[in-house]
Amino acid sequence: MTIEPAALEGQFHMLSWKLHPDNFVRASEFERNLSLQRSSELNDAYRTLREPLGRVEYLLEFLKVRKEGETKQQAPPELLEEVFELNESLDELREARTSGGDVALLRGRLDAAAGNFQAKLTEVDAELAALGTQWDAALDSGADEAKRTALLNRMSEVLNRRSYIRNLVDGVQKEIAAA
Amino acid sequence: MGRVVGIDLGTTYSLVAYMDAQAGAPKTIPGPYGSALCPSVVSVDAKGKIIVGEDARDRLLTEPERTIYSVKRLMGRGVADIQDELKIFPFRIDAKSDNVIRVNLGDKSFTPPEISAYILRELKWWAEAYFKEPVDRAVITVPAYFNDAQRQATKDAGRLAGLEVLRLVNEPTAAALAYGLHKEKRGQVAVYDFGGGTFDISILKLISTTEGDIYQVLATNGDTHLGGDDIDNALMDLARREIREKFSVELDPRGEDVQTLRKSLIRAKHELSTAEKTLIEYPLGPKGMYVREITRAEFEELIRPIVARTMIPAKLALADAKLSAKQIDEAVLVGGSTRIPLVRKTVGEFFERTPHSELDPDEVVALGAAVQADILESGVKTMLLLDVTPLSLGIETMGGVIAKIIPRNSTIPASAQEMFTTGVDNQTAIDVHILQGERELAKDCRSLARFQLKTPPGPAGLARIEVKFLIDANGILQVAAKDLRTDLQHVVEVQPSYGLNDTEIERMLEESIDFAEQDFAERQVIEARTEADSILAATDKALKNAGADVVTTAERAAIDKSAAELRTATTGSDYKAMREKIDALNAATEHLAEVLMNGALSSALKGKSLDEF
Repeated sequence: MTIEPAALEGQFHMLSWKLHPDNFVRASEFERNLSLQRSSELNDAYRTLREPLGRVEYLLEFLKVRKEGETKQQAPPELLEEVFELNESLDELREARTSGGDVALLRGRLDAAAGNFQAKLTEVDAELAALGTQWDAALDSGADEAKRTALLNRMSEVLNRRSYIRNLVDGVQKEIAAA
Repeated sequence: MGRVVGIDLGTTYSLVAYMDAQAGAPKTIPGPYGSALCPSVVSVDAKGKIIVGEDARDRLLTEPERTIYSVKRLMGRGVADIQDELKIFPFRIDAKSDNVIRVNLGDKSFTPPEISAYILRELKWWAEAYFKEPVDRAVITVPAYFNDAQRQATKDAGRLAGLEVLRLVNEPTAAALAYGLHKEKRGQVAVYDFGGGTFDISILKLISTTEGDIYQVLATNGDTHLGGDDIDNALMDLARREIREKFSVELDPRGEDVQTLRKSLIRAKHELSTAEKTLIEYPLGPKGMYVREITRAEFEELIRPIVARTMIPAKLALADAKLSAKQIDEAVLVGGSTRIPLVRKTVGEFFERTPHSELDPDEVVALGAAVQADILESGVKTMLLLDVTPLSLGIETMGGVIAKIIPRNSTIPASAQEMFTTGVDNQTAIDVHILQGERELAKDCRSLARFQLKTPPGPAGLARIEVKFLIDANGILQVAAKDLRTDLQHVVEVQPSYGLNDTEIERMLEESIDFAEQDFAERQVIEARTEADSILAATDKALKNAGADVVTTAERAAIDKSAAELRTATTGSDYKAMREKIDALNAATEHLAEVLMNGALSSALKGKSLDEF
């Protein structure tokens, strides 16, 4: 799961030289089609692999731990109180917007909350990266299936928390922008 | 097979260029008036003849209801999209327009791809006259921020003009390619392309590999309705307001006399790129003359909001490329509007460096298109373009929400697979609606196409149809569906939301392609015949005046024979045979011509000396 970005990019470029449709403009229709399919797969693969999150999602889908495109959201228990407060502030903000309250004050509070959750997001990403390193180590050392499954389930769980927080941050930012 | 060219199909001007193998550099091809800039103006005369370019532009003043400019603004759009444009541009839209706009020119109506095809055909003719060979393939450039429908409309125009479109290349990417040849450049490059009607910004990474150079677009953004036209309109608003206040004359912005005013405003705009002030003059008949001095400072104040609008896409593109303005190694200026000092200054300040403008900003896109055409055609790979799709692709789901399946700035070709199934028992069709855009609701995004997946009746959820969405290297969507239960390919009849369907294209093609082939031959015959007539006349005259001392009997017989053969050839329609006979006659008269030339020189000298005495 830990990769060298420059090596990935180099490999991407090398394969692009071989597969890109530009090389097949004068080839038969069959070859042109094949180049189109293969180069699109290459680009899709590069797009997925270059992002740490993309790698985790792909791994979980590939090993059938999750369904493709599945996004389960799970509220992290330690955040419940903060989320509750945030939702209250959001309600107040919406009300203030329509009935004329202290929008600036609420905005400041929401900005701070959004900052908090953004920091949480960074934490979760670090957690995913650490799990990735453990996964690599587990594969290298030939760890048994139980250990591997445990790691995968843990990744899936962190991923769910991540998408919950991500949604929260996006929502707050949208409300702030609208205020 | 004919020659291949690169074409910049612009809002205001269009150009055609080719790769000069000897010079190892791309060159633009001039038209009949010596300029490589072909005004993107099309006019239809009373007999139905199509006039394109400089002559059509003159007709904007004399025959405005038969003439159209800036048709690029209508490409791939529906009538509802262009309501704002109709307030400013004198487009005469046919009331019968449905999902494709039809424009009235005189008593006929045309779709935007047809009108663009006339411009492309004109450029094709320029190139054919230049090469004296047919041209049948082209790379055509499009604004990077063009959506699927706008790209498809451009490709349709190419086909209608009798050109096989080898590739649609994004304008800023083409410009980067032209600059890449011009100068050794590495690193992260921002191409700022501010043209007549569109604005694009692309962030590229230039990488040297052992195979050659890779031009990888990291992100692109833009506004397909922001350009020099908007600056002209700002000047127009100012002039109309002042004319209303001072002369109590209300000028209809879509009226015909306004074209004269527009012309003088555009001239003033051009002059203010070098001069500090200029005059706008517009005669108002018996009411007098509108004369107004405008300084550069005043002009800059007027257009500042328009120039500021270009900075929004610039920031978004940088954010998507995950770069800051400081991390850009080079900025490149493209498009006529980048001649405006305020634009240069704004770009320079934003990227904190002096932007490049060594190559002519009007020509650079066409030159890049010629480079790409040569790469695709010759098979010699020293450069590779990796471009991106400018807009996210999505499908409509429950409640009109969009599920994004290919994110914007994905390297193309790009694809996504989606599984579709039935929601209720005995459902026999599944509707699929494809859209492009960044908003969350379908109603805020651009509808590209709809299609239905047919399935036999059965319990809900039993059907399993996999649909593959693929954006090709032109940025155009292809759709294929497969029934996973039967493993059979599904026939998908995609109905484009805006644009011509296959049947319409086929019909137009049948009418145009045959014509295109015939056109080339016909024009060559006419040209060869004209040339033959003039050389035959010159030969006759020379023989009449030449005495036995100048031309021997044997020589005269040879010339007579060649001339007779050429006369016979001109009665036919084989232009190649005519060319051969012209060459033969030229060879036969070479000696005679030389003698006569010397004679002419010496008699001229004699005449001179006689006068002197």
